[in-house]
Amino acid sequence: MELRLVRTAVILGSLAALTAIGCATSTKAQMMGTGDPVADRQRLMKNVGANWADIQAKVKAGAPETVAVNAEALSLHAQRIPGLFPSGSLTDKSKAKPDIWQKWPEFEAAAKNLENRAAALRDQAVAKDGAAVTTNVATFGREACGTCHTPFRVPPPQQQPAQPRS
Amino acid sequence: MNRRRAKTTIVLAGLVALSIAGTATAQSTAKLWSSDVVADRQRLMKLNGASWADAQAKLKAGNAEAVAVNAETMALIATQILPLFPEGSLTDKSKAKPEIWQKWSEFEAATKNYAMQADKLRDAARTKDLAATEAVAKEFGRQACGSCHTPFRVPPPQQQAPAPPQQQPTR
Repeated sequence: MELRLVRTAVILGSLAALTAIGCATSTKAQMMGTGDPVADRQRLMKNVGANWADIQAKVKAGAPETVAVNAEALSLHAQRIPGLFPSGSLTDKSKAKPDIWQKWPEFEAAAKNLENRAAALRDQAVAKDGAAVTTNVATFGREACGTCHTPFRVPPPQQQPAQPRS
Repeated sequence: MNRRRAKTTIVLAGLVALSIAGTATAQSTAKLWSSDVVADRQRLMKLNGASWADAQAKLKAGNAEAVAVNAETMALIATQILPLFPEGSLTDKSKAKPEIWQKWSEFEAATKNYAMQADKLRDAARTKDLAATEAVAKEFGRQACGSCHTPFRVPPPQQQAPAPPQQQPTR
């Protein structure tokens, strides 16, 4: 009887330790950011937008083969997107739609689509195929950004229409 | 007695489930990348190098503001470095030195320093001040990259020394 109690205690103790380790590990991995997933994902997506703007500027300047670095940044950032949308992370500062968590597999697929489209763009740039880069860029906004933003993000306030020239 | 045994079983089962859940969560986060951690960190560091090269090219062209995106990319990537160096991930393809794991806290501090330096470069670029951005960039290679690569990375093979200048034929 005594022995069995001791044995049970040992098993319980090690399991508790295992649990603690498991939880600690996952917390550590998630704490790579600031701990505020809304701020973290907005920072990440801002850099996605800035890299996309840089891609467009380079294509416009006639240097499509130099976009590889930006496309690779998009591809690597895309992998982090689903992890930055834990369920329940919808605050008044967030532009995320609740549809993200209702249609999680579609949201995940949309992030994967960005990753793949960006990787293709990177490969075209690395191959110095300027024409392919330009073609990809022409539909990228709609097909890589829009396919996720349209269903899953509250649209930003409409921009003021340009003032007619007097 | 039977009751107590049942209770113990339930507690045990619960703890087993919790352990699995905890471990699974950890794994799903680590699963962000491929299963080859050396390839993953080499891919990440290559993007760091390419972002730095792009920043330097823009500075050379006099475009300080455009450096901000590269610096912010580096700052974001810096937070990804540590988990890509799990203990025992030293293969013959890796240029990592074992010192990383012997002096983990120093390695950790080096990645934090890298993130801070990238923040500094980004903030300078956002002011659009070319001279200020160049001043940060001038120190960046040594202070942000070198302070980690020197103690913790096997140096890449020395580049061919430039050929000595051809003797000018005397006329």
